[in-house]
Amino acid sequence: MTRLLTIICSVAAMSAITSAALADTDNEVEARKVALGLAGAFSNDGFKIRDGYWTGSVKAGERAVVAVNLYAGNQYWFSVGSSDEASKLAVRLHDEAGRPLPTDNYEEEEKAAAGFSPDVSGQYFVSVAPTSGDASTYCLVYSYK
Amino acid sequence: MLCPVRLVAIFLVASAGTALAADPPPLTPEQMASAVTTDTISIPTPGELFAALSKPGKPNWAAQYRGPIPVTYRNRAQIALNLGGLIADGFIAVEAQDSQQVKNIGTDIIKLAKALGVSENVLSRGKSINEFAENSEWSALQEELEATQNEVKTSMQSNRDQDLVILVSLGGWIRGTQVVSGSVLKDYNESSAKVLRQPALVTFIQKKVNDVSPELQNEPLIRSVREQLSEIQKLVTFPGGGTPTAEEVRKLNEAVTNLMQEIESKPDAR
Repeated sequence: MTRLLTIICSVAAMSAITSAALADTDNEVEARKVALGLAGAFSNDGFKIRDGYWTGSVKAGERAVVAVNLYAGNQYWFSVGSSDEASKLAVRLHDEAGRPLPTDNYEEEEKAAAGFSPDVSGQYFVSVAPTSGDASTYCLVYSYK
Repeated sequence: MLCPVRLVAIFLVASAGTALAADPPPLTPEQMASAVTTDTISIPTPGELFAALSKPGKPNWAAQYRGPIPVTYRNRAQIALNLGGLIADGFIAVEAQDSQQVKNIGTDIIKLAKALGVSENVLSRGKSINEFAENSEWSALQEELEATQNEVKTSMQSNRDQDLVILVSLGGWIRGTQVVSGSVLKDYNESSAKVLRQPALVTFIQKKVNDVSPELQNEPLIRSVREQLSEIQKLVTFPGGGTPTAEEVRKLNEAVTNLMQEIESKPDAR
């Protein structure tokens, strides 16, 4: 938990330093801070947060799709944060043929997460879609145990 | 007062698992083809692979150690590949909860990283690895190893060594797959064996390796790696349920062991 708070503080500090110069980066930093805050909740349950992440902008009515490679036997949570507090979003998992998969879901304001335990190792797709609000910047991080 | 993260945690415990997602539409072939694939999120860490292997039963991680590898390579591609392999070794030592082994590997990681001229930030990671190892902070060590790997990659990108980034990931994947396939072979069961299926991951790595500069592609080690990856891609496909037989695991282990030996010992190309 201490390490997670350190990461979040670093992200916040980075935001302060770069806000004047890089507006887009500022949104990405804010979205990452929200995503890490949500992922941190799962670390209380033994989930390890991956250091890697994805950030990008998604327009209303569109979906961002990120490819991930998962291992059968592990449990995963995919956490997404938005830079826009008014934005609501949905996170979903798809198999390697693009079919939607049943997931445990958590959605609250500008953050959402999907939990999944694959039976088959291989490629999966995470889709991120705004459910309300305009275009916004999103950040995806994932945790596993 | 409860911190916000803890409040979220409490809320999640209450709500997670109760809400099942409404079915979204399937992805179109175009959406899948244009899906974002990045080195840092689409390639799993060795830690993820080892976590999955540990589910059916804790393997004898210490039995998976290898002898020290040279840390005096002069060829940068070979250094990058071996750096990835060493980071995987670090994850093995963490799984074995072996402080001294973690520290030894941490020292070697820093030596190889220095040889690539990475930033001071990476070098400070070596100190953190030592501290976490001394305090037996295993979970923090896993995060630190991944952070070290990402720091190395970021530094490579800053130094215009972008082509070497994928080689670090590749070295880690090969070493991880060697260890896991070897462990599965010793005590075969289907639950453990099915972690080895990763055709799309190898295809992604192949594509990235095929995109490196012509100069790098012409190096004998990289030429050999590319050729062998094509064969390994077929060996991790396992059609029909995704669970390899013991014989398929043996073939995969043989292939990745041969490649790992070549990565460790091939004479410098330059």
